[in-house]
This record gives sequence, structure tokens and C-alpha cells, in this order.
Amino acid sequence: MEELIRVALTVADQPGVVHADVRVVAPSRFVQLAVRNGAASALTDARTETLGVRVRTERAWGFATTCDLRPAPVREVARLAVRLARAAGRHARERVRVTEDPGPKGGRYETRLRRDPFAIPFEPVLELLTTAEKGLHTAPAVKSGLATFQAWDEEKWYGSSDGASYTSRIVHVGAGVTATAVRGSNVQTRSAPTSFGGDFSQAGFEFVEGLDLAGRAPEVGREAAALLDAPVCPTRATTLVLGSAQLALQVHESVGHAVELDRIFGSEAGFAGTSWVAPEKIGVLRYGSDLMNVVADATEPGGLGTFGWDDEGVAAQRTPIVHRGTLVGTLSSRESAAELGLRRSGGTARASGGDRAPLVRMTNVNLEPGELGFDELLEGVTEGVYLETNRSWSIDDRRLNFQFGTEVGRRIVRGELGGLVRNPIYSGMTPAFWASMDAVGNRSTRRLWGLPNCGKGQPIQGARVSHAAPVARFRNVAVRGG
Amino acid sequence: MAKRSSQQMAGDPSATLAKLPDGTSGDVRWITSESITIRFANGRIHQPHLERSTQVSFRIAEGRRLATATGSDASPEGLLSLAGTARSLARIAPVERKFPGFAAPKGRGPGALAYSRTTAELSPEGATRLAEELLDSAASEASGARVAGVVYVGNEHLRVANSSGLDRSTRHSMAMASVLVQRPDQDPPVSGWSEAGHWDAARLGPARLGREAAERMARSTPQPVAPGSYPVVLRGPAVADLLRFLAHLGFGANGEVEGWSCLARQRGKRVAPESVTLVDDARSRETIPQAIDYEGTWTAPTPLIEKGVAGDVVTDLLTAGRLGRRLTGHAQPPEAPWGDYGPAPAHLLLDRGDADEDELVRETRTGLLVTRFHYVRVVDPGKGVITGMTRDGTYVIENGEVVRPARNLRFTESVLEALKGTTLLGKERRTFFDGGSAVTAPSVAVRSFRFTSATLF
Repeated sequence: MEELIRVALTVADQPGVVHADVRVVAPSRFVQLAVRNGAASALTDARTETLGVRVRTERAWGFATTCDLRPAPVREVARLAVRLARAAGRHARERVRVTEDPGPKGGRYETRLRRDPFAIPFEPVLELLTTAEKGLHTAPAVKSGLATFQAWDEEKWYGSSDGASYTSRIVHVGAGVTATAVRGSNVQTRSAPTSFGGDFSQAGFEFVEGLDLAGRAPEVGREAAALLDAPVCPTRATTLVLGSAQLALQVHESVGHAVELDRIFGSEAGFAGTSWVAPEKIGVLRYGSDLMNVVADATEPGGLGTFGWDDEGVAAQRTPIVHRGTLVGTLSSRESAAELGLRRSGGTARASGGDRAPLVRMTNVNLEPGELGFDELLEGVTEGVYLETNRSWSIDDRRLNFQFGTEVGRRIVRGELGGLVRNPIYSGMTPAFWASMDAVGNRSTRRLWGLPNCGKGQPIQGARVSHAAPVARFRNVAVRGG
Repeated sequence: MAKRSSQQMAGDPSATLAKLPDGTSGDVRWITSESITIRFANGRIHQPHLERSTQVSFRIAEGRRLATATGSDASPEGLLSLAGTARSLARIAPVERKFPGFAAPKGRGPGALAYSRTTAELSPEGATRLAEELLDSAASEASGARVAGVVYVGNEHLRVANSSGLDRSTRHSMAMASVLVQRPDQDPPVSGWSEAGHWDAARLGPARLGREAAERMARSTPQPVAPGSYPVVLRGPAVADLLRFLAHLGFGANGEVEGWSCLARQRGKRVAPESVTLVDDARSRETIPQAIDYEGTWTAPTPLIEKGVAGDVVTDLLTAGRLGRRLTGHAQPPEAPWGDYGPAPAHLLLDRGDADEDELVRETRTGLLVTRFHYVRVVDPGKGVITGMTRDGTYVIENGEVVRPARNLRFTESVLEALKGTTLLGKERRTFFDGGSAVTAPSVAVRSFRFTSATLF
């Protein structure tokens, strides 16, 4: 692979080209095993090899990619990347500026695995899924059960015209179960450990074993069926306690995306949108209550956004984002950091594969824990709701107005968890919502959640990111039943 | 696209299938594609991307145990290795009792479909020029505004073969362009949007798109509108979003298999006025044409809503077997990490009416004009309820006229209720292509549409 990188860098070394970098991701392997209602669903083993060449002239970038890893096609895409950059530069009036971030000279990063998910036979995994899926069918109302296992293995080589290089092997795994109960048009879903495929980690198969899917499945099925008869969540402004997984998604949508510097500068305006954060407000903007502390930590053990170096060769970092409610940092690449006037990139330029150019992406954007235990959080609630496990999510293109639905709600009455409510939805405005956070759970309530499906960019790139979140309490939130 | 100077040493998928032992059968999808995506923002091209891709996907059935292996190595050794991987996985798969076996070839194909070689082979410089035209057109129509958007051109060649003797292929050219014109420094910021998709890049009309986006950007300060139910005029991009969700929630076979389809109990019944006819037709010149689906079944026009009456779900081999329904040829591309959504209509065409936008607004009398939606998600699949934000051009209609820009609102509405409330259809329709599905739709007036909250801009 080093030879292919050298070939591409040599071809890209043309007049006007001031920088080139090459990434080879080979193999990138994705395995999905799923059992749906007792039958196999989407048993897939996908293995691809891709190489991407990115070049920069004084005024523009160019990127070209191929899955044919022989010298001739590699030379050709290197030439095409240069042609693209030259063509794109015709229209540019200003120079592209980037930070000076010296890259690594030959480093290696590897996921620490106790049980390599790609080295174990898949038969026991399928048996586990079959048992777990069967366990979901605890009531006739459960019309559909699904148990899934997913694993990614990415071997990467990076080299640049600056002489930087590194290699890495990163493995992600995850699994989950979902039961869907149906009565007429009343459709209720419960999942474990959370929805949309379960939970994910940078780890070996030991992580999946620790999820105890088979043990949890019967309760998941029972709760899906019970939700059919639960009252609809009452509509009112009330005290809201969010479970850790739902709060992780809240952080993702209303903090993580909003502090991506490319969005802040308008690079994503035509697709994903921009941000309510103005560049000049970074360092002074009040994002939430004094209890709000957020970090972007690409060194978090087990995180899907943990790596050695990003896809521009910048070392992984832990960057404070919100400190005691004030926005103090952002997610950045070499170009966006330079645009803000920073001396160094935040090291969060990530690509979903060798066939995509790096964009500013989340790493592990974590809400720091507070001091209260779960029961102490509830003690302060005379009347409210506890919501957990995301069912739907949507937020506006500046990351202000959001609406989330969860699979389940529970009433809180005088500090105690009460009965189930169905179809709960809560909504709000990002700064007001975070300002209303008046209690944050301690480390015992904190969990790191993996989200494997964050979409951004054109062509679309699916990023795998993580968020650690505790349980937290919010006052006077608009809650209703759907 | 610049011609490839070298192709992979390609194997023969049919020959690989022929080597499978008795009791083992399979099919193979072989997709080669080339595309150029030129993104621009803040007045310059900032992310040009050229991609050459090969994807081969074997699905092997050991008896009725099924599994898939996908790869990018199309060499003879690569194909054998993929088939072997799929076989290993299939041997341990749970039995799929309703699997009907791979379909033998039958029926006649649609013949040559609309295709643009010029689009398929557009060079990096040609694609960049198209983006520059779009950018310049929007910038000249809205002086001082920031312009962002994308131009995408590409081609895909799909070959499908199976061990029942089917061996078919199709190719399609595709192009799309979208442009956003915005004044982000205004308080609140304002923006306007336009987009189009076509199989022929020459028909995208960058000058028109730039002008439309500029016209749709507010010229005065958007005013807050109280959440509530309003009559609406939905422009094409907003209609396309609603139809994509209707396609998944109402006409996808998985929803029927699992009982959560929002149309499960309404097939054959009236769900919309007689003026509403929705068809899925991958052969139409008004979509991104495709002759076969990803299992090699010939595509054919499939009525979904005929004069307001709901039709049946669309199927692939597996769901046709599970439901005991007709195979309609709606298999989707090989499994993506996003999830197993099953077969769904991907070439939707909503019949046009005879009203221009002025008439739609005039007949609506009082309500809102919506250009497009953002971040639409399912809230309640059984009832077809979805939510999303308005974006890039929302206006108040009073006395049959557009009177002022409105701040954006969140809708939470059943797509079925919206359909039922359709009062008028526009006479111009356009294709909106998101890379996965194409929706060809006019603007639509709807009697009542529920907005549940508002944002600050």
C-alpha cells in the first residue's frame, strides 16, 4: 500500500499543486447478521478496497477515488484529482488557507480487542441473535422481532506530500434487539440497549456479550405490548428527566452538529444546513446552564470517534466545547480552523472511507457527569416524565428548534417513577432547553453510546460517533403525546 | 466523465454461479458507477469529488438459507471468493421458509430507455462549468447574497444474473443540481432554494434554478406565525419529501409483513380525492429510468394511488413470497448499513393538475406557501405521522396572495391526512432526485396541514 501511496503522490506532484494526501482503506469490512421473526434478515459480509487522492492548489481542492488498487487506475485518479482542483480553482478568488499541523511520521493505531469479532465463527453469533429474537415474542401483540449484530473492520494507510504517514486498524461492533407490537394503527416499539441497531463500541465481541440481549429480550417484548394499553403521554410544560441514551442523541443533534466549524462557516449550507452559533460568539456564547460541560474527546476508550490521527493526519485530541454553560470550543479541520484564526486544527476531519474526502465530523462529544444519583434526580420532581430510547428525531437547519419522540415514557410523581405513557414527544429550542437543565446525574448514570449512522456531506457519508451522557433533569419543557 | 484507461480484470458472474453445487443457488448484482459531485459554498467550489466504483454482491441460497457477500473485487478470483463467503454465511443462516427461489427470466423488457451519454461521460471540467453556471446565475440574481449548492452527474451500469438463467443489465445516466441563496447576516437570516433532477444534465437549466432560488428568498424580514393548522401550498421539493415517506410507510412491503404499514387496512379504499394519481414507473422519461430492479426483474409502471384509491404494496422476491403477492420488481440495492428498509417505490410520479402557482395560491386564500422541508422523520408509522421543518422560502398567503415571508415552522402531520386534503395540483412537475430515489411531482395545495412549533428564523 505504501507503494500505491507513493505512486499517487508522485503523479499528483504537478505544477500548482501545493499539497496532496492519499488514503487507502483496504480492506474495509462490514458484517451484519440479523434475525427478523425467526428468519435470516440481511446476512451480509461486505469487503471493499478504496483509495482516495486529495490535492490542494493555491485556490481549490480536488478529490478522486477508485476501488481498483492497481498502479494504472491509481495514477489515473491522481491525475483526475489534479484536474478537478484546477477546474475548481478557476472560479476562486481567494487562497485556501490551512493550519500548520505537522503529521505523524509512521505511527500506528489499533483497536484493543479481547475477542476479535472477525476472528470468531459467526454461527454462535447467529445462535445468540436467534435466541434473543425469539425471546422478544412474549405476547401475541408482538408482531415483529429483530435482533442485529454489526461489525466494521477498517485497515487504513495514510500518506501526504508533507511526509506524514500512519496506519491504523479500527474495529467497531454493536448489537441490539427490537420488538414491535401492533394493534390496528397503534404501533409500539421497544428496543434494548437502545434503538436503531442497539449500542456500538470500539471493542471486540466481548462488548456484544456484555449486552445480554437474550436476557433482556423478554422484558423488551413485554414492554412493547404493554405500551399498546398505556395512556397517551399528557400534553403540558413539565419537568423532564432524560435517560442517558436519549440525552446522548440530544447532545449529538443540538450540540455536536451545531459546533461543527464547517457548518458555522456555511460550507454545509446547501445540504445539512448551518448553525445558530456565529463565529464571533465562540468563547462568549451562553449555550446552557452552569451545569453544562461538554467535551469532544477523540481519546475516549471505546468510542466510535476514537482514533490515533484524523484523516488529515492530525493527532486525536480532547477539546472542551462547553464549559460551565459557555461555548469555548468547536470541531474543526485544518481549513476551518485556519478560517477561524486558530493555529492548530481540532483534529476532527474524518472520512467514512477511502472513497470520501474528510469533513468536519464529531468524534466522541460527551456531556460531563454531575453529582446526583438517579434517585436524587427524581427526588426533586413533584410531577414530570422520564423519557428514554429514541423513536424519532428532527431539528431545524440551524440546530435550534428540535423535536424528539421516545419509545417509552414513565410518569414521575413525587419523586417516584410511575406507570408507562406512550407516544411521548418533547420539543424545544436549543439554548433555552440547555439553560433549563437544573440537575445532572453522576458517573453511575453515565454511559458511552455509539451512534453508527450520522449522515453528512455530498456524496453522503455515514460516520460512526459516540456520546457519553449521564441522566439529566430539565424544567418546564414542552411535552406531549403523539 | 473521463474514459477509464483501465478496467479491472473482470470475471464472469454467470460462470461463477454455474459453478455452484446442486442444492445451492444464487444471484449476483454487479454495479459499476462513475460520478462527479461539485459542491460550492460561500461563492466558490469547495468540494469537488470524482468517484469510480465497482460493487459486486452475491446472494447465495443453500436450500432456503440465504446470505449475501459484497465486495469491490470483480476479478475472477474476487467473484469466487465472494460466492464462497456468501455460501459460508448461508450455511449457518436460519431457514427462510417463504423464499420462492430465484426467478427464471420471463416477460419482455422495456427496450431502450432514456439515457444521455453526454451526461454519463461529462468531464471534470464540464461538471465544474455546470456548477459555475449555477453559482453565477444565482449570484447575479441576488446581489451580495451567499450562494451554496451542488451539481451531481453520473452513470450506473447494473447487471443481474441468477442461477435460474436470468442475466440482464441496465444503465442509467443521472444529474441533479440544487442551489441555495442566503443572507446569513440578516436578522433573522433569509434564504431561497431551487433544485432539479434529470437523466440529461443539459436539461437541468442552471440559469432558471439560480433565478428561482433568488426569487424565493425573502426580501423583507420574516415574521413569526403561530403554530396551528393552515391550508398550504407545497412546492415540488416539499411534495417530494411527503411522497418519499408515503412510499416507505404505505407502499413498502416490510410494513405490510410486519403490520405497521399506514395503509394496511385501506388498500382498495379511497384515501385521496379523485385528482390524485400516483404511480411508480421506472421506465418513464420523466424519472431517472431503470429497466430492471436489483434482482433483475423488469420494472413496470405500478399504480400506487389510482384516482384517489390506494393500491397494493410493491415487492421483491422475498416479500412477494412472504406476503403471497405479485412480484413487482422493486428490489433495492444491496444492503446498506443504514438498515433493511425492504422494497419500496423509487421512481414516483404524481399526476399533474392544471393550476399554475398563482392559481394554487389564489385558491388557497389564506395559509402558507412552503418551498421545502428539512430533516423529516417518522413519528408514528401506523398513522403515517411524520415531522420536519420548513426551510428556504416560507410565506404567508392572505386573500389569495403571497403577502410576506414567515419564520420557519415545524410540521407534525399524517401524510395520509395531507393526501386526503389535496385540493389542487400544479401543472408543472419536476423531478427531484436525492441519489437514491426520484420523485416527479408538481406543487400541491392541501386543505389543512398541522404545524406544531416554530423556530426563530
